[in-house]
Amino acid sequence: MANATPPAIEIENLGKVFRKRRSIGQTILHPFEAAGEVRALDGVSFSVRSGEIFGLLGPNGAGKTTLLKILSCLVSPTSGFARVQGHDTAFDEHRVKSAIGLVTSDERSFYWRLTGRENLHFFASIYNVPRDRIRPRCQELLQKMEMAPRADQPFMEYSTGTKQRLAIARALLHDPPVIFMDEPTRSLDPTAAKHLREFVVGTLNRKEGKTVLLATHNLPEAEALCSRLVILHLAKVRRFGTMEEVRSWETSRERYAIEIAGLSATRILEGGDRALSFAGCALEVRAAGPGSPADRVVVDARVDAGGAALTELLRRLLAAGGTIVSCSRREASLQEVFDLVAGEGGEP
Amino acid sequence: MRLLSVLLKAWAFILRDLAIEMSYRSAFVLQFMGVFVSVGIWFFLSDMFHGMAPAMKGVEGGEYFPFILVGVAFYHYLTVALTAFASRVRNEQLTGTLEAMLVSPTRTPTLILASSLWDFVFTSFRVVVYLAVGVAVAWLAGRPIAIHASGVFPSVVVLGLTILSFCGIGIIVASSVIYFKRGESINSFVTSASALIGGVFYPTQALPAWLQSFSSFLPITYALRGIRRALLSGASLSDLIPELQVLSLFALVLVPLGLVVFRWSLKLARRDGTLVQY
Repeated sequence: MANATPPAIEIENLGKVFRKRRSIGQTILHPFEAAGEVRALDGVSFSVRSGEIFGLLGPNGAGKTTLLKILSCLVSPTSGFARVQGHDTAFDEHRVKSAIGLVTSDERSFYWRLTGRENLHFFASIYNVPRDRIRPRCQELLQKMEMAPRADQPFMEYSTGTKQRLAIARALLHDPPVIFMDEPTRSLDPTAAKHLREFVVGTLNRKEGKTVLLATHNLPEAEALCSRLVILHLAKVRRFGTMEEVRSWETSRERYAIEIAGLSATRILEGGDRALSFAGCALEVRAAGPGSPADRVVVDARVDAGGAALTELLRRLLAAGGTIVSCSRREASLQEVFDLVAGEGGEP
Repeated sequence: MRLLSVLLKAWAFILRDLAIEMSYRSAFVLQFMGVFVSVGIWFFLSDMFHGMAPAMKGVEGGEYFPFILVGVAFYHYLTVALTAFASRVRNEQLTGTLEAMLVSPTRTPTLILASSLWDFVFTSFRVVVYLAVGVAVAWLAGRPIAIHASGVFPSVVVLGLTILSFCGIGIIVASSVIYFKRGESINSFVTSASALIGGVFYPTQALPAWLQSFSSFLPITYALRGIRRALLSGASLSDLIPELQVLSLFALVLVPLGLVVFRWSLKLARRDGTLVQY
């Protein structure tokens, strides 16, 4: 049975082309030459379900920031549409902005000479919090973010973690159903990052039912938090779905972990005629787990599906003098998928 | 209800800027010290012209000190109307707070207009202090200034129309800052031109005829003439109809034009993705 709840975010064939700025010299020398273009998003389509934590991943320049800016009504799309809670970002700016909260890792987005509380009071006014609710709402959020004792200190005296907590408090002022988070743990120490992740999952998502769109480069964080994700690269969607769907996206190739004894990594990987890899088979070698004998290595093999390539690889390993201790099929890690996507060019 | 919401937001901006201003206490105090210095300069300068003013064509009230005092006081005001929007937009761009403001559900024009309110409030306060110090200095020197109480209301009306006109230009400059990220040069040109030929420091009659004709294209010329006539000669609203007509015309053209250009610059900045860049 189809899910009747409408998606929190709907993106359909979204495109964004930026025109390159021309220098005065270029304009004078070539007045009739068209300005160059940069395609930041190209036919991007996906949707985010209400109440899920959704990952937005991609290498630098993939289009993540442009997408977040379109969803925040700061950039207008060239083609297609984006809807938040059913409201079109190009035509219903006020309703979209009422439905979203944006958390960035930019510390400069506050008034440094004001206290945390003064900052929140000011932003509460422009985020349309009713006047009689501003004070209690700010206090409630300061307590929720565990920063009430420091609320009356100037923002400039806060640690990076406290600044980030205030950024989250600001995004929640008007109690929006959808939260956009752009690299929220980028500058945090591991403990602060862990607390933040726990807050996102435990409080924002499970307790308050908020939809979270998380743009991140931190792949373990995406794996830990997101129920589904999209990977953008070169302006297009390259992978989309649940973590399992993204990991098993590549149906023409299979991954195996083969534990070998009696062969060194150098012997397995060295170039020329003696290399064990072949067309349809890519190899990486790592040390076997702790406690394993010194002559053991694990070969991570990515081979053509169907069995023939695996058989050929095993034959070569044996012929080279190796002993196969174990061989098991495994899923690609998100890091491997990401690396694969980042290495892709042109069409998906 | 919507008006109340806008007013409450405007109040939040004023409180924000007051708190920031008060955090720079010495600068805050020094700005007011500057008023005393400035009044002193104009007083001693005008002392040189004491008794000569009746021969100076166009000096309202016949004395140079009241003439320059009113001129400089309101010139500050008009400069703020011209520069406040652009400098606030630029400041928010540079400090990084513009994005957080623009993702709020408050309409962008409201944000820009409200963010410059403090400048008007603060300058109003400064103008009052400026005039009060000037009047006190003149009284202590035994040359009291005759400010006509009946001219206060007409001068406020003239000032209101002038601010509207200058806001129109100010919004156009702010639009330039939003799209091109620069607008200081336009501000600098208009404020300098206003000082040169708008009758701030000397009557426009002191200018060569060809420059006088340029001065008739600047709202400040009519504004200062109207305010001086009201405050220093006690002109009534009906006496000021010529100035009021021209200023109304400026306001009717410049304010809608400013709003159209502002809307257009926002659209272009959104298209080019440069709205929060600096």
